[in-house]
Amino acid sequence: MIPTHTLRAVIYGLLIFFSVLTLIPFAYLVAGALKTKYDFAATLFLPSGDGFLGIGWDRLTLRNFGALLFDFPVPRAMLNSFFYSAVHAVGATLLCAMGGYGLTKLHFPGRSLITGVVLLSLIIPGPLLLAPSFQLLYQLGLLDRYAGLILPGLTPAFGVFLFRQAMLRGVPDELVEAARIDGAGEIRIFLELALPLVRPMIGAFLLISFLGAWNNFIGPQIILQSPELQPLSVALNNLRGVYGTDYGLIMAGTLVSIAPVMCLFLLLQREFISGLTAGAVKG
Amino acid sequence: MSSPLLPPLSLTLPDLPAGALAFIGLAAIAVLGVLASPAARALLRRVLSPGAAIILLIAVAASVGVALIQPKPPVGLPFWVFADVHYRVYSSIAADWTRRHPDHPVHVLQLTNPALERRMLSGFLAGTPVADIIAAERPVAAKAFVGPLEDVGFVDVTDRLRAEGLLENILPNSLTPWTTRGRIFGLPLDVHPVLLAYRSDLVEAAGIDVTQVETWEDYFRLLRPLQQDLDGDGRPDRWLLNLWDTSGDLVLMLLDQAGGGLFDARDHPQLNAPRNAEVLAQIVTWVAGPGRVCADVDLFSASGHRQRLDGVVIGTLMPDWMCGLWKQEIPGLAGKVKLMPLPAWERGGRRTSVWRGGTMLGISKRAGDPEGAWGFARHLAMSTELAADLYRQTGILPPNRALWSLPVFDEPDPYFSGQPIGRIFLGVADDVPVRSSSPFAMAAQSYLGNALVNLRGWADATGTYDRPALRTEAQRLLDAAQRQLEREIGRNTFLADAP
Repeated sequence: MIPTHTLRAVIYGLLIFFSVLTLIPFAYLVAGALKTKYDFAATLFLPSGDGFLGIGWDRLTLRNFGALLFDFPVPRAMLNSFFYSAVHAVGATLLCAMGGYGLTKLHFPGRSLITGVVLLSLIIPGPLLLAPSFQLLYQLGLLDRYAGLILPGLTPAFGVFLFRQAMLRGVPDELVEAARIDGAGEIRIFLELALPLVRPMIGAFLLISFLGAWNNFIGPQIILQSPELQPLSVALNNLRGVYGTDYGLIMAGTLVSIAPVMCLFLLLQREFISGLTAGAVKG
Repeated sequence: MSSPLLPPLSLTLPDLPAGALAFIGLAAIAVLGVLASPAARALLRRVLSPGAAIILLIAVAASVGVALIQPKPPVGLPFWVFADVHYRVYSSIAADWTRRHPDHPVHVLQLTNPALERRMLSGFLAGTPVADIIAAERPVAAKAFVGPLEDVGFVDVTDRLRAEGLLENILPNSLTPWTTRGRIFGLPLDVHPVLLAYRSDLVEAAGIDVTQVETWEDYFRLLRPLQQDLDGDGRPDRWLLNLWDTSGDLVLMLLDQAGGGLFDARDHPQLNAPRNAEVLAQIVTWVAGPGRVCADVDLFSASGHRQRLDGVVIGTLMPDWMCGLWKQEIPGLAGKVKLMPLPAWERGGRRTSVWRGGTMLGISKRAGDPEGAWGFARHLAMSTELAADLYRQTGILPPNRALWSLPVFDEPDPYFSGQPIGRIFLGVADDVPVRSSSPFAMAAQSYLGNALVNLRGWADATGTYDRPALRTEAQRLLDAAQRQLEREIGRNTFLADAP
């Protein structure tokens, strides 16, 4: 029998090995962002030189970050990204929670049909909706406007279904009935009773929506035409040149774009996991 | 197509300034409500976790930021470009033009190529907003040529070019990608001749004189000593040419140079031309079998650049625009490379080829100010400033012969060991092959690529590397590819019946 501490050492060793393996692309990204054009293709990670560990520390540069901030509209794009992602996440969470509540706790004719339609719409591939959405947004006069990007994503079928399941499992009908008998209105029941009971799902869905909107590329690229309105995902793509690409600049831009979401994920990871695993174990 | 098929409804929802202000107002009320009411504060604490509260705060702060820093609305004729270099160069010229022509201001907007293509086509076909002037790359512009001639979304500029005397100066072969059924729909911006870039440091160190090279046979024979096993593992680490059976663009350049290619001068498919079979057979002997002399080094990736720096390949087919790309992405090669005319397929043969791409300036039929758009496009086509700037930044040469005497093209280029590369490219510019405007060019290239890969597979499987046998098999594969392509084109009644 293998001693426990040996087994643990092996497991930790493997975990460390795979962690390092996972971090290699990230290290390449960071090194690339700090290198000059000359060193980018010439060296794999950090440039070699006479410095500590045989690295040419003096050849590392922050020029790429400076160029991003001052030569390209990246700060504006970042503000746009925060705006789209956060407003979309807050709005979508509120509306999906309302949808989920309505489909589980309110009794009205056609409820099953609507639930079925929501479920059915989940199987329609997103790219299939691009052309009709574009046409509709054009007819509504919403092309090249912030609202054109935010409004269509406010009630995703996935979110409505997710909250429907959360309400079904997390909010007992008896509790809702008792509140109604006590004279509470539906809005009050939704806000004061249902929402606190699905709080883990709120955190998880907020984060999912935020990340989805932050990484959305196709939507903004098609709907928004003015560079001043475009988010970071599109602005970074514009850094790719047709007749030559400054890879260091793109690496720096990628780093800048993933840093905020990484921080957010680290802050919210506990809620994210608890939200997604809530109800996963049969009690 | 001059009027939109789908006119916008009169309903318009509030644009961001108003929307954001409304959102901020609501958020402010919510915040005030929280501050004022302990019950609401308690409710928010119960509903929102700290993380959720952070996202809510970001939403409020970003909304305030977006509302306070509002973008200026663009003024002038919209001009869409797909390349960052075009954007930089055209923006400065557009600003100057706008100062001198305040009644025809121009506003340049950079889009990615896929976005430009989708917006251009939906603008032409469904009446959605489209720019007055569009810098369209060849595969994108070709998609506007699919339907009846009168429904092409670009303005037919044939008569205008003739009337204003521009046709005489523009290189005829630069017009063909923008010409369909005899009519021209754009002003060309490039020639895209091709030369051979080679590692002059390695070649000269070996004492090889490339002026002795006239044909591909000469090239491989004279440079053969450079194909070496450097690490002693029994396999060569250095190859003579960057080419592979999957390198579609490079193969196409060789076919065009040889006088084959995908389409004939009337845009009819000619995949199964005997010349194409001959060239494919030759290429297979270069990339496979005992006489292999080529290596697959990616043209556009960091790993490919690293291999070029390491000298894995000696020669690379080099269109003019790629000079700019190398300078930007592989500065480490400065002073180690030179250009020479492409070795010909036979003595006295063509010493250049053409890159399959290219860019034109097209004017939308739905342009609000077509005269202003034409004036600006014409200004760009004649601009010495644009020609010089574009050449300096990208290496691209203008198709307008009147600009070829600019001194910038005679400047020695330190990157290419002091060669005046502009003049060298211009020396072969008159000899570039014709490019097609067919919207089926990409499909044709794909069929051709499949045929070459299958030919190489057949050669490897049967161990057959002699040219006559390869040529027979290549012809069989190309005949099949031609039938498939013709079937595909035949579905388009407008182009299938074109003379």
